[in-house]
Amino acid sequence: MVPLEVRTLVGGLGYRNLRDHSLGVVVSDRLAELEWPEGVLVEDVSYNPIAVVQRLQDQPVDRVLLVAAIERPGRAPGTIEAYRWDGALPDAERIQAAVAEAVTGVILLDNTLVVGRHFGGLPEEVLVVEVEPAIHEFGDDFSPAVAAAFDRVCELVTRLAKDQDAAPRLPESSLGGGRRVSRDAS
Amino acid sequence: MCFKNLPVEFDANGKPFLKGGIPNPYEPRAVAGLPKQLSEGQIEELLRRNGHIRPIDFDPVTRVAGALAFHSVVDTKARKVLEARSMATLFRGYEVIMIGRDPRDAIFITSRACGVCGGVHSATSAMATEMAIGCCPPPLGILVRNLALALEFLYDHPLHLHLLAGPDYSALVVGATNPSLLERAKKTATAHGAVHGYATVGELMEDLNPLTGKLYLEALHMTRVAREAYVLICGKYPHPQTMVPGGMSTTVDLTVMNEMATRIVQFFDYSKKVCRIWDELTEFFYDANPEYKKVGRRRANMIDTGIFDHPDAYDASYEHAGAWGEKRWATPGAIVEGELVTTDLHTLNIGLEEFVEHSYYEEWTGDGQKQRYATDPVGQPLSPYHPWNKITKPRPSGQNWKEKYTWDTAPRWDRNSMEAGAYARLWNTAVARKLPDNPFIEATGHSLNVRLPKGALPEMELTWRVPKDNWNAFERNRARAYCLAFTTLVTFHNWQLAMERLKLGDTKTSTPFEIPKRGEQRGVGFWGAGRGYLTHHLVLDRGAVANYQIVTPSTWNASPTDRFGQPGPYEEAVLATPLLEETDDPKAFKGIDILRALRSFDPCMPCTTHIHTGEGVVSREINTCACGVEEETASPA
Repeated sequence: MVPLEVRTLVGGLGYRNLRDHSLGVVVSDRLAELEWPEGVLVEDVSYNPIAVVQRLQDQPVDRVLLVAAIERPGRAPGTIEAYRWDGALPDAERIQAAVAEAVTGVILLDNTLVVGRHFGGLPEEVLVVEVEPAIHEFGDDFSPAVAAAFDRVCELVTRLAKDQDAAPRLPESSLGGGRRVSRDAS
Repeated sequence: MCFKNLPVEFDANGKPFLKGGIPNPYEPRAVAGLPKQLSEGQIEELLRRNGHIRPIDFDPVTRVAGALAFHSVVDTKARKVLEARSMATLFRGYEVIMIGRDPRDAIFITSRACGVCGGVHSATSAMATEMAIGCCPPPLGILVRNLALALEFLYDHPLHLHLLAGPDYSALVVGATNPSLLERAKKTATAHGAVHGYATVGELMEDLNPLTGKLYLEALHMTRVAREAYVLICGKYPHPQTMVPGGMSTTVDLTVMNEMATRIVQFFDYSKKVCRIWDELTEFFYDANPEYKKVGRRRANMIDTGIFDHPDAYDASYEHAGAWGEKRWATPGAIVEGELVTTDLHTLNIGLEEFVEHSYYEEWTGDGQKQRYATDPVGQPLSPYHPWNKITKPRPSGQNWKEKYTWDTAPRWDRNSMEAGAYARLWNTAVARKLPDNPFIEATGHSLNVRLPKGALPEMELTWRVPKDNWNAFERNRARAYCLAFTTLVTFHNWQLAMERLKLGDTKTSTPFEIPKRGEQRGVGFWGAGRGYLTHHLVLDRGAVANYQIVTPSTWNASPTDRFGQPGPYEEAVLATPLLEETDDPKAFKGIDILRALRSFDPCMPCTTHIHTGEGVVSREINTCACGVEEETASPA
């Protein structure tokens, strides 16, 4: 039974057995084994973003902290970025495309954010930790760059999840781009 | 005799044999009477000479599952399509990944081929293994497996009808592409308002609007209802955790069954409504302009493996596949030019070939390559192009219509370009009249009557008529709507049968098995996705996978033009599609009629190419540069 005081959901996002793109789920697997203060839930949210919305509507939280590997232009593999999502949505056509991708099985950070916000599943405060992947292929191990970043990602996510006042110290960013993790935040 | 193009005949007992006196019987030869594309040279000449002939490309085709691109050349004056090329733009990798693995891995790995229908891949994989190793599920295991996959279809059909294809018929889209049609819709009274609640077709179209329309939002809700029932027995959606060779590793009790029932019954009324909505839309478009009957039209060539096994018939053997296949709730079959030519799974299997003339793969025959199997496990002839003989040899290269342009292969049955879909399931079942006894569904030989029990709406009998002479995009959608009703009733009936077994104290859902560590075994899973036909062909060698081949519905539908010059189903359907959009401005042209033709097939490209992209439209289109963002601690290591 989940306690009523639940305030923060830490969600790992990614595909299993897809090397670096499995980072989010491997992080949530690892963190789910730890002891957490009451009010923090750690889950694998690597499923249809519509279902993530429905899960959040059933059991609302005050903060969501998502962790995922995602390719962004100009970033070196293994780079960690953390930010507060500004919640701004793209136009209706792009939201519709995100829904179509969501219901047909695409599991992706940006889709989850767009669908989650459009349908009102996400709370106001959404924090994101991203890692730049190096390899996009079948397999159950990380590239050296992502493997080297893994422990730091877990530490960062843990700190952010436990520190409910961390959000203001993170830079705000729009969809599709984070900022490199600051010393303050980490 | 059902083969017209393959060198196979049948003896007096109906056993097929290879015709004698042919030196290379399966050598691809020209097939007469098939539709053909214009040559690349002819198209180039037309483009050079005529300003009104121009290429129209859709890359990607949106509102479909996965990465589909489509190239066409259209004559804007004659309003017709001159060239059509279907492209799967991602590498198909699962066959390669599977080699050397324990077959139990296949159940979980091949599930990942699709983010919608992972369950059917798991089930088909489990069935291929159980056939190879000789392990038959217990009756309750068969029923629960039926339930699991039927529930998956109850997710899949609303999704396609009202989230993917539906917006093409919404006020938003119709108003943009055919304003006069929307005006007409606003003034057209509906025929079934008492069922769906809409007084005019225009109102109905408003509620098909994406993101805000009530039908769009209701479909999202219904996918949840189906998913909730599914996870009761599968653990997770879309990738089930309980599919095993020999049944299901799930515990079912009265609590689970009751929880499931509360979800299933919600589809009684929803099915009535959805069937009538697609009746309204189809008849409205036909009345407004009979040319709409040509949108997405092609030969009624279809193939389906059938689905939903009868617990008294299924024994997991290849030897008896012909018999247990015909006892399924959805009858297997091949339809050629609108005629059902076989319902025998063996005949379906031996007629199957896969060609890669225009695909990014190397030929695996020739060059002294020995054909692995000359016959199937019961001695019936097999082509060297059959999946049990196929070797997946990827060969990426540039795009060239004359040579290679897609990662999809070209499966053919008796050398015919066949399409797969929920509708093939209905068509075979309606015509074959081999349905198991049941209180809800009746096959008449030319139609299927479905009796939907009372919900908030009264009990209702609806009839789907085989559209033999009018096979097009609208009929595909209408049939998919009726397949929702059909599936709902199959689900409910299997639920009733499972309850009867539970009441008798039968709770066994799986049979123990061992993977043999010696010898070579073959198996094939004959099943179906929400979108139709699905097979997994498996060869085991000393306990490991030696060959694994998947043919999905969209492998058939998205297939390229084959070595005989015969277009794939998407291509053929688009070539026949008139351009009825109300614009003469090339910049305003949206290609809605081509898109309606394509989307009517319910394309699923992750299944076709069997790999997920990890990239969504949104991220592809709105990635922003991190320029200007201050860099702080950046070291990844």
